[in-house]
Amino acid sequence: MDTTIWIQLISSWGVPLVLLALGYGVGTSVERSHYRSLRIREARMRSLPALNLQRPPAHWKIAGAGMVTGSVVVSVDYFKRFLAGLRGLVGGRIRVYESLLDRGRREALLRMKEGARQQGYDAIVNVRLETSRMASSRRDGKGTAGVEVLAFGTAVRIAR
Amino acid sequence: MVYVPRTPPENNVSRTHPLVELATLLGGVAAAAVLLTLAAMAALDWIVPHIPPRLEIRVFGGLWPGAEALGEPDGPGARTRALLLRLATHWEANPYPLQLTLLPAAQPNAFALPGGAVGVTSALLDSVQSENELAFVLGHELGHLAGRHHLQAMGRSLLLSLALAGFHRGGSEALPLTAASLTALRFARDQERAADRFGLWLLAQEYGHLGGAADFFSRLPDAQAPQAGLRVASWLATHPLSADRVQEVKDWARQNGVPLQGPLRPLPWRHQDRR
Amino acid sequence: MILSNTEEVPGRKVRELYGVVSGSTVRAKHIGRDFMAGLKNLVGGELKGYTELLREARQEAMDRMVEQAEAMGANAVLNVRFSTSSVAQSAAELFAYGTAVRLE
Repeated sequence: MDTTIWIQLISSWGVPLVLLALGYGVGTSVERSHYRSLRIREARMRSLPALNLQRPPAHWKIAGAGMVTGSVVVSVDYFKRFLAGLRGLVGGRIRVYESLLDRGRREALLRMKEGARQQGYDAIVNVRLETSRMASSRRDGKGTAGVEVLAFGTAVRIAR
Repeated sequence: MVYVPRTPPENNVSRTHPLVELATLLGGVAAAAVLLTLAAMAALDWIVPHIPPRLEIRVFGGLWPGAEALGEPDGPGARTRALLLRLATHWEANPYPLQLTLLPAAQPNAFALPGGAVGVTSALLDSVQSENELAFVLGHELGHLAGRHHLQAMGRSLLLSLALAGFHRGGSEALPLTAASLTALRFARDQERAADRFGLWLLAQEYGHLGGAADFFSRLPDAQAPQAGLRVASWLATHPLSADRVQEVKDWARQNGVPLQGPLRPLPWRHQDRR
Repeated sequence: MILSNTEEVPGRKVRELYGVVSGSTVRAKHIGRDFMAGLKNLVGGELKGYTELLREARQEAMDRMVEQAEAMGANAVLNVRFSTSSVAQSAAELFAYGTAVRLE
């Protein structure tokens, strides 16, 4: 009878704890390596300006223009979801989601810039950002599978 | 205008460490749940004694079958009822016209029912070995009636279902609800102990000794000295551990100067048709 | 710090462009506000609790955007845009972005 009690306790508390630890451990290391990659690529892309002004500066001689986009869907790990659920009870800032969206935004902008550079553009104007939630496959349709960030703008070629 | 590439600082993420945030949230939510439950228990404790027994009898009293359903006048049902009424004569403040309800069931069990009834299962009547033991079980249930515990239990489950209804979101409602139910279970176990003491007192009044009480507990499955796992699981239980209850019988006997053992009376119907 | 949601500030010229700056914050509502909102859903009207909450969050997002611009040496943010999106069942992200510039 003793072992059945332990089995009961472990199955009701142990599995969520393991998932939490897994989510935290793996999630944190994934996040850290993503940030490292972001910083490196941002340094590389800094020479390509992305502005959200509608018209490019007057002294640029525009030789061609086209729309460019960059998007990414970042997923939520179990740890983040659990924390967000607790926050939903007491209110306040959800720090783990802030890092998620920060990463998503920077990644989307980088992909837009990298796409523009690949196509030979020199700058992007009228940059806009859109964020939306992907619903998870839960029965009631609630819950978050991930967050999609889309960055789009008009890329221009500057004649020299 | 000239484009000067500059790096924005990474200020869109707050500085707190996620584990620290988790610990604060868990602690905060659990503490809030425990406090709310304590407040709810205290409110119940305050409200329930003000519910007049007359009202309770009027609402619930008609639900339980009368004495005719107990079978022949010399059978276990009627004899148990007679024992119940005899025990209750020692309880001077009794407001209820007591009834006994006999339920056919395979598990030995006894209940205090709203409206002033005590329910026992047929399996219980089969498993008790002496009249004293049966008297202790009946006395324990009378203890619940005396403390209006049955009403408090109804109030507790009502509040718990309300809380469940209000909390219908993701997986994190498990934590505050668990904290709340652990607190509520502690109250339930305290009530069981109080009912035990009332039952012991009735035994002392009726027979002059506590024989039979400890026997009942020592026959329950978890009566041996509990190992660590059982101790932890006891926080999840509605009743205290049987080993603890046996100890409390001995302590009560010592504190009130009542002998722990004494001559046990046989069940009035047993020697007629079983032996 | 001058904030404007227009391309240009009338009468001032842009000397240097530093790039896109953004500020964001993710806020969750607590169960009390949720409950009141549920009641309000029966009778209609303004959800004052949520208005308050989102206003504070938007202010914080703007403050973070201004912080970024100041760190880059800008004295104005042009073409400021706002975006609100729901990122979890009980939480919303408030996002403000614009172009950090130095006006002369």
